[in-house]
Amino acid sequence: MTLRDSDAEEQRLVAYAPRVYGLLVRMVGNRDTAEDLTQETLLRAFRAFETYRPEGKFRAWLFRIATNAARDWLRRRPLEPALGLDADWPERASASPRRQSRPEDRLLGGERASKVEAALRRLPAPDREVLLLRYYGGLAFNDIAKVTGEPLGTVLARAHRALKKMAELVPEE
Amino acid sequence: MTRCPKQEMWVRYAAAELADRPRRALAAHLESCDACRREVRALARGLEAMERLEREPALRPEMLETLHRRLRVAAANRPQRPRVITLVARYGWVAAAASVLVAALVLNLPKPTAPAVLPGNHQAEAIQEIAAAIELLQLAENGTTPPQPQNLFPGDRTNELNLLLDLDDAGLLLDYLMSQDRLQG
Repeated sequence: MTLRDSDAEEQRLVAYAPRVYGLLVRMVGNRDTAEDLTQETLLRAFRAFETYRPEGKFRAWLFRIATNAARDWLRRRPLEPALGLDADWPERASASPRRQSRPEDRLLGGERASKVEAALRRLPAPDREVLLLRYYGGLAFNDIAKVTGEPLGTVLARAHRALKKMAELVPEE
Repeated sequence: MTRCPKQEMWVRYAAAELADRPRRALAAHLESCDACRREVRALARGLEAMERLEREPALRPEMLETLHRRLRVAAANRPQRPRVITLVARYGWVAAAASVLVAALVLNLPKPTAPAVLPGNHQAEAIQEIAAAIELLQLAENGTTPPQPQNLFPGDRTNELNLLLDLDDAGLLLDYLMSQDRLQG
């Protein structure tokens, strides 16, 4: 392993940081946690780079690490009233000391996205996960099935349910 | 109107994840099915809604700085391995797969064999039997009642040939006849 390899890997991973963060913040519903998990995901990927096999899709590999990190966190976290994209999000996020320097952070994507975020929060977590992996990971449903460890039929059924719900909850522009 | 495709197919259609042929087949179905058109429109609206999210939200500079620092520490702590070992670890599977493929090809090459020589009058007899076997198979394929095997294959081989005809494979039958003649010769 040369320094040059490490630099290239670092750049490649950091380029994905915003998308990984986008996925994680909507999986765990908390921005500080999502930041920590983004770092954790990219560090895990960096350490595991030597085991990454180029025959697979890099994005699928990376987003599997991110999804597992979020799932682990959701399993381990202290019992709190809300699940998934918590009801306390983004209020808790805006109150975080880390966040006070960034007022535009109140909503990701601004007002236009707020209705979409509200609709996403109403989806069951596994259905939401499929949409998020498709949107942030840019993954095909086949790859999402590999990432989530579910059969393709189940993933497609989840996507079908989730998309119809989104269409119902988000008014047309 | 043809039977409606499964909902899952429409998800792949709306997400443009189908190959050209099934996509065209589904598009043709849509032209004649209002219910499926409504279904696809709803799925497309769901996908459009997702597009309103910011795909690459900006990260705080402090967070990125911390990330770079942690990655550099991780890089410094990586065991220094010769490049060749890294390459083997990463691409070793390619070499292994190629070796297996080459070995399989080499082992499957047909071994050179001496041409089968049938002794004297056995040759003409074998040719007759082969021709008869082929004729029998063709008749069976055409749905015509095959003639009784004993007319074509005199002697005690009738039962064996009947069994072999079940295999419906002229190649196997030919192999069988040749081997029998060789044994007898």
